[in-house]
Amino acid sequence: MNSTGTNALRHAVKKSNTDAVLSVRDLTVSFLTNGKQVPVVRGIDLDVFANEVHCIVGESGSGKSVTSLAVTGLLPVTATVSGSVRLDGVEVIGADEEVLRNMRGQDVGFIFQDPATTLNPVMRVGRQITEGQVVHGQLKASAASDRAAELMAEVDIADPKGRVTQYPHQFSGGMRQRAVIAMAMSGRPNLIVADEPTTALDVTVQAQVLSVLLQRQKALGSAIILITHDLGVVAEVADRVSVMYGGSIVETGTVQDIFDRPCHPYTAALLRSVPRIDAGDDRLKTIPGQPPTPAELPSGCVFHPRCALGAGKTRCQTERPQLRAFASGQMTACHFAEEMKPDRPSTTARAIAQAERAEVKPLLEVDNIKVHFPVKKGILRRTVGWVRAVDGVRLSVRPGETVSLVGESGCGKTTFARAIMGLLDVNEGDVRFDGRSIVGLSRKAMRPVRRQMQYVFQDPYSSLNPVLSAADIVAEPMRLHGLFEEMGSDKRIAELFEMVGLSPSMMGKYPSEFSGGQKQRLGIARTLGLKPKLLILDEPVAALDVSIQAQILNLLQDLQRELDLGFLFISHNLSVVRHISDRVAVMYLGKMVEEGACNEIYENAAHPYTLSLLSAAPISNPGMRNQRARIILRGDIPNPASPPSGCRFHPRCFRATDICRSQVPELATQSSLKTTSICHHAGPLDPKEIALASQAEGGI
Amino acid sequence: MRKSFQSAAKTIRNLMSRKGVVFSVIFLGALSFLAIFADILGFDYLTQNLIESLQPPSAEYWFGTDELGRDILSRVVYGTRTSLVTSAGAVTIAAVLGVPIGLVAGFFGGWRDAVLMRVVDVMLALPAILFAMALIAILGKGQMAAMIAVGITGIPSFARITRAQVLSLRNRDFVTAVEAFGGSATYSMFRTILPNSWSPIVVQAIVLASVAILLEAALSFLGMGVAPPTPSWGEMLRTGKSYLYEAPYYAVLPGIILTLTILSFDTIGRAMTDFLEGRHELGDHSSVDAESEK
Amino acid sequence: MISYLIRRILQLVPVLLVASVAIWAMLYAVPGGPVAMIVGQDASQEQIDAATRELGLDRPLIVQYADWVGNAVSGDLGKSIFSKEPVVKLIGQRLPATIQLAVFSLLIALIISIPIAIISALNPGTWIDRVLSSWSALALAVPTFWLGILLVLLFAVELRWLPSASRYIPFWTAPLDAMRNTFLPALTLGVYVSGILARFLRASLVGELRSDYVRTARSKGLPERQIVGGHIMRNALIPFVTIVGLMLANFLGGSVVTEVVFTYPGLGRLLVQAISTRDYPLIQGIILVIIVIFMLINLAVDMLYAYIDPRIEHK
Repeated sequence: MNSTGTNALRHAVKKSNTDAVLSVRDLTVSFLTNGKQVPVVRGIDLDVFANEVHCIVGESGSGKSVTSLAVTGLLPVTATVSGSVRLDGVEVIGADEEVLRNMRGQDVGFIFQDPATTLNPVMRVGRQITEGQVVHGQLKASAASDRAAELMAEVDIADPKGRVTQYPHQFSGGMRQRAVIAMAMSGRPNLIVADEPTTALDVTVQAQVLSVLLQRQKALGSAIILITHDLGVVAEVADRVSVMYGGSIVETGTVQDIFDRPCHPYTAALLRSVPRIDAGDDRLKTIPGQPPTPAELPSGCVFHPRCALGAGKTRCQTERPQLRAFASGQMTACHFAEEMKPDRPSTTARAIAQAERAEVKPLLEVDNIKVHFPVKKGILRRTVGWVRAVDGVRLSVRPGETVSLVGESGCGKTTFARAIMGLLDVNEGDVRFDGRSIVGLSRKAMRPVRRQMQYVFQDPYSSLNPVLSAADIVAEPMRLHGLFEEMGSDKRIAELFEMVGLSPSMMGKYPSEFSGGQKQRLGIARTLGLKPKLLILDEPVAALDVSIQAQILNLLQDLQRELDLGFLFISHNLSVVRHISDRVAVMYLGKMVEEGACNEIYENAAHPYTLSLLSAAPISNPGMRNQRARIILRGDIPNPASPPSGCRFHPRCFRATDICRSQVPELATQSSLKTTSICHHAGPLDPKEIALASQAEGGI
Repeated sequence: MRKSFQSAAKTIRNLMSRKGVVFSVIFLGALSFLAIFADILGFDYLTQNLIESLQPPSAEYWFGTDELGRDILSRVVYGTRTSLVTSAGAVTIAAVLGVPIGLVAGFFGGWRDAVLMRVVDVMLALPAILFAMALIAILGKGQMAAMIAVGITGIPSFARITRAQVLSLRNRDFVTAVEAFGGSATYSMFRTILPNSWSPIVVQAIVLASVAILLEAALSFLGMGVAPPTPSWGEMLRTGKSYLYEAPYYAVLPGIILTLTILSFDTIGRAMTDFLEGRHELGDHSSVDAESEK
Repeated sequence: MISYLIRRILQLVPVLLVASVAIWAMLYAVPGGPVAMIVGQDASQEQIDAATRELGLDRPLIVQYADWVGNAVSGDLGKSIFSKEPVVKLIGQRLPATIQLAVFSLLIALIISIPIAIISALNPGTWIDRVLSSWSALALAVPTFWLGILLVLLFAVELRWLPSASRYIPFWTAPLDAMRNTFLPALTLGVYVSGILARFLRASLVGELRSDYVRTARSKGLPERQIVGGHIMRNALIPFVTIVGLMLANFLGGSVVTEVVFTYPGLGRLLVQAISTRDYPLIQGIILVIIVIFMLINLAVDMLYAYIDPRIEHK
């Protein structure tokens, strides 16, 4: 198996082979949990061909990751697997461990989700990239270092020779993931399995990594299985798509068919529930309920409890539908697929009463605030510098209005939010709430302000005290302000539960008994107890499944309308921001770079960073894939402790000139532009620029 | 309150599903029973009978007799009292002083943390047995002195574990949330962080109980702990060692009881640690099963 | 690296300062204070006054402390009350014996613990894992003084292979004799520490086995042997080195009980003698020396850690 002869033979066979690279039949995987076999994958069929990207899309618990691990027997020993998986014609299930080992790295390469933990922290990256090839006898140990540099160059890692001897912690996140791609591709495998390869990365870095992945795939002619929950990524890269739900594939087809004419109610509902970046829509159509957990699967069709089409149909409740041909190249696992009505997602833009709002006095005014953290170094731990986490942001929020702050990780958006809450000290600038300055107030003086201004955290799992009951969690802020009785005690709690769509019967339960979406509802309920005027929402839906995300977004919009709440919405998700915002501010490396009305930012942005961000964000519309101009930013976000001179964006900017390197741009409103931006060269995107920007990157 | 009761009941149910833990609980239970009711049960550790000195185990003297003809079994039973009382006292001293140190150091950080942790570092710069001996050198010998000395050596472990727990909770969102709602530092510390920190502290107490028993026995073995005629395991081993040739059982049998006691506490403590850590692992595991999304 | 080293050394200063004050103050915490120590409890007032003047105890406390520290730094820890010999000399005689015992014990502990940890970590939950884990639990539960007694019973009393009381024979003068004499105490200590080491190493190996990078290594088709040897051991050994260092530091002072069981002439037994004769200058001297050695070993371990872990930046 290891000799070069058989390797050559195998590659020859591969070229002439039109059969599937991977062929899965009736794959079933279950795990022994608490003495019970819990089915996680329940009989799936799948074919993946050379030169294609096959996306498996699904929410948590759908079994998509387990499927990918089963492909080469990488599942833990607690798993029971049956069915057939043929990789290059070789049966994987029940195969000898040695046969499997030889397949891994040679016939199939893996890319895992989190680049921070995928690589061994104490081994040089170069060695990790080529280690597999050396073991399989494809590469001499003496040539490994040169080969590693070559592979790194292929995935656009700058200075590959120098990087070979470095350790993973010396790489940035995007670079690490590219190194993992180089590693997965080093043995020229016929199949690459990528499990959420860009989920942990920022939008601009995601664009880099996806482009490198596709570029390498084209060069090698491999097949890719890409597992993701992100429909935008699917629309951008997939050739064919399988949608998984409750351990089964419910629909499979070409990417165009899936998005244009979904033939399973779940796919259709999922597509409707995702906010779109290319069109602001008024209200999301949610899927009721939660995705099922493998331990408690509904009978019959797993989707029937959440399905509008199957409502009341006994067949859906009793008989499990099999995947069947629906149209050419498209298969469905729905008894009543033929009855589905084609529907285009409504694109009625939501009404924004801008003019009317301008009259109202702002609730929150932030005037050019700066939050700096000291950097301590040396023997005496002296302050040698400052991390300028927030370095000049101004914005205002009016009652009933949603202002969003968008940016990638490390841009300072969470620091900004916490500084406004008085959880961090503001070094410079002013924050006014209801016209009163709240900077530097004592804990005591801040208390009445905190009644009016509340914070919703990103992670519903860690933001609720695990030893308090749901009722106590919601009551805590009121009790802290001594207003529990005044507000109506238990009656008020029940009222709040209903307000956020939780049954008051759950009041006695503890956070661990709630699902992610329910926890976030609880987190919202607790902020409403004191009747605040402003909510600061820090990535409130980032940790949630797509279908749950839509429910929470709708809830927030309803509450806003009902209670005339002002929202300061912090997010990295451009689609969500477009959906929920009235106005948007974009941050980069501690500075606000552009600000304007929501639609103007999305349609008429003028700052090169905003333009790049919008261009990098995936659009859930495969038809747009080839028509759209793409700017792939080079490099990573610089360290905020030592930001670049002049305009902080200049090292990555396609418009940068000498002035950008030396002079810090000022906030300027040009009459010709629809937004306010801080840039020496603000202006709409010229198609020629894209060509230039792409050229600089070596094209995609 | 109900929550902690529920989870405690659940923890106990889970722990009792392990055979080792069941044995340990039964053993410690039986030992405590004997120690508490030793007088009623008619154990006599004082009566000397020089004619029957250094007798091997027999129907009358299950563990044999010592150099003064006293019943070794009775002395082991009363030694249990000494041992358990000393260790309980020591653990209490360590917890009462160590937990607040860790809480304050972890919560406030800054100079308070620096000062308190330096003091703890000093205490750790000497192996526990030496530290205890140095304290005995000042306090003089005796059961009370042994209890205090062993207790003081246990302060660093409580302080460190509490501090680590506070630090890990300090930046969790639910603690930040309390601050964002306008809760005071005292509220965060005692009402939010402390109720979430009990488990590792309780486990530490159990682990330390076994360490305290061992230390007390070691001190008595060195002649620095409990003074005769009060029976103590360490003291019995110390004397027994002089009669290795004539009466090997003298040093062996009390040692078995001592070892089993330490083993029992260790088994329970370790099972609890496993269980606490396992809760994370269990979470990880089930999310592998049901695949991780975020 | 240099800056890190200097910072770590500077961090030791306050610890050393507090420790030295505590040790110095020990004398004054004793009933009757340092005078009673010299002249006895029933001395007359004249005797006490004379001794007070002679010892310089009428000076301000800070001066007395500075004096004591100054002497200690220049290598003068005073004289033993009991033997009238300089404390430094007494410690110097016993220290090599303790160091030899510590090194032997550590070697035994490593030889026992490493295979146990690896085998049980690679077969988690199996009977062999349970047996080997029980070994660790037992090794930790058996008090060293009792284990020492058992070993003496077996090897000295029953089998008569080894001496029941161990003498100190420097290894380089007579290796075989040295081993015969050090074996039982070293085994006693080594067994106990093997429990700690095996448990620690097993836990860290099991933790590493679950890491994502292990899955990555498998996905590359590496053989299991190489995954364990090349990837896992590398990660697990880094924290293990720290624990081994700490154990070595602990041996230097923690072998008191073992030394007493085997009447081995080490530092620990000297301390026990000093305490029973209330020889305070000697007690102070021994404790100070042990603390300093302990801190130096810790410092060395930290340096080593920073050196072998590539994640710690050393410029």
